[in-house]
Amino acid sequence: MKRALAVTLAICFLAVPVFAHGTDKHVIGVVKTISDTKITVETQTKETQVVTISPDTSFVKSGAPSSLKELKVGDRVVIHAKPVGSDLIAHEVRFGKWDSSGQAGRN
Amino acid sequence: MFKTKARRNSNRNKETTFRHGSSAGSRRKTYQARGKAGMRNSKVWLYVLVGVLAAVAVPAVSFVAAGVSARNKPGPIETRFARAARHLMIPRSARRMKNPETATPEVLASARQHFADHCASCHANDGSGGTEMGHHLYPRAPDMREAETQDLSDGELYYIIENGIKLTGMPAWGHGGDTDQDTWKLVLFIRLLPHQTKKDLDDMEQFNPRSPADIKEEEYEKQFLNGQPAAPGKPGPH
Repeated sequence: MKRALAVTLAICFLAVPVFAHGTDKHVIGVVKTISDTKITVETQTKETQVVTISPDTSFVKSGAPSSLKELKVGDRVVIHAKPVGSDLIAHEVRFGKWDSSGQAGRN
Repeated sequence: MFKTKARRNSNRNKETTFRHGSSAGSRRKTYQARGKAGMRNSKVWLYVLVGVLAAVAVPAVSFVAAGVSARNKPGPIETRFARAARHLMIPRSARRMKNPETATPEVLASARQHFADHCASCHANDGSGGTEMGHHLYPRAPDMREAETQDLSDGELYYIIENGIKLTGMPAWGHGGDTDQDTWKLVLFIRLLPHQTKKDLDDMEQFNPRSPADIKEEEYEKQFLNGQPAAPGKPGPH
């Protein structure tokens, strides 16, 4: 019984880095590669998630509007993305320190 | 002399017959003509009846055949029928109501906040209906930037917000009067929906209702971005 409980809790905690928000997914992890159209993120469970960037994707660095150019390999990111077919299309990429005003944290 | 008189009388009789149509033959023709016209009228009424029955029966049968499931969106006939019914069921006096509010920046800011807090869960901040709930309601939440909504009169929009719409996801937000200032302000804001900027939409996000799971999730993301080890027990899907 204890073992089953431990396994259940472990699964819950390991499921942290990618989760859904309504139809959105939140990809949370460290940037591994960046191209003009894709960002590869290594999640805390060491899984690799590739997120597609669209012209509508917005970038927020420390609570202020930013751009893809400011994002660097090794940055911690929180990406809100919409699953479209087998792709994840990012609509917001947050990185940098959390803005104390909380503006960057709204979803 | 006698023959001439007799011929004259005969001609006079023919004229009279012709004039008054009182001969059996002409009466028969009249009846036949009336009969044909009557049959033509009956056929017209029959076609009208069949048409009306079809107009009611086809959507009704398709509505019933679809069962109670809200998975599929309503078909075009049902949508048109429902919109026509909605139009007819909003009193004319309500359709003609004029908005007493003026679209000042303050009024629009207040209405935008109100919309984000009360309406956006289904209609989305941009009014597109592109939310999880909006996509799965029956009928779907409309794209309010489109003509189907923007062509409604101010009075119709006010009436719909105040009274809701039966058998849809639209609740009655008011008490049915015509003096609710907040509702009139919302009507002004609905007119603005097609022209909202990205900044407007971003500003609205802070007024969207959030569940405890949203708040927990935000805390988790905040800790992660600030370089702290993310706290376990983060929210699950919601």
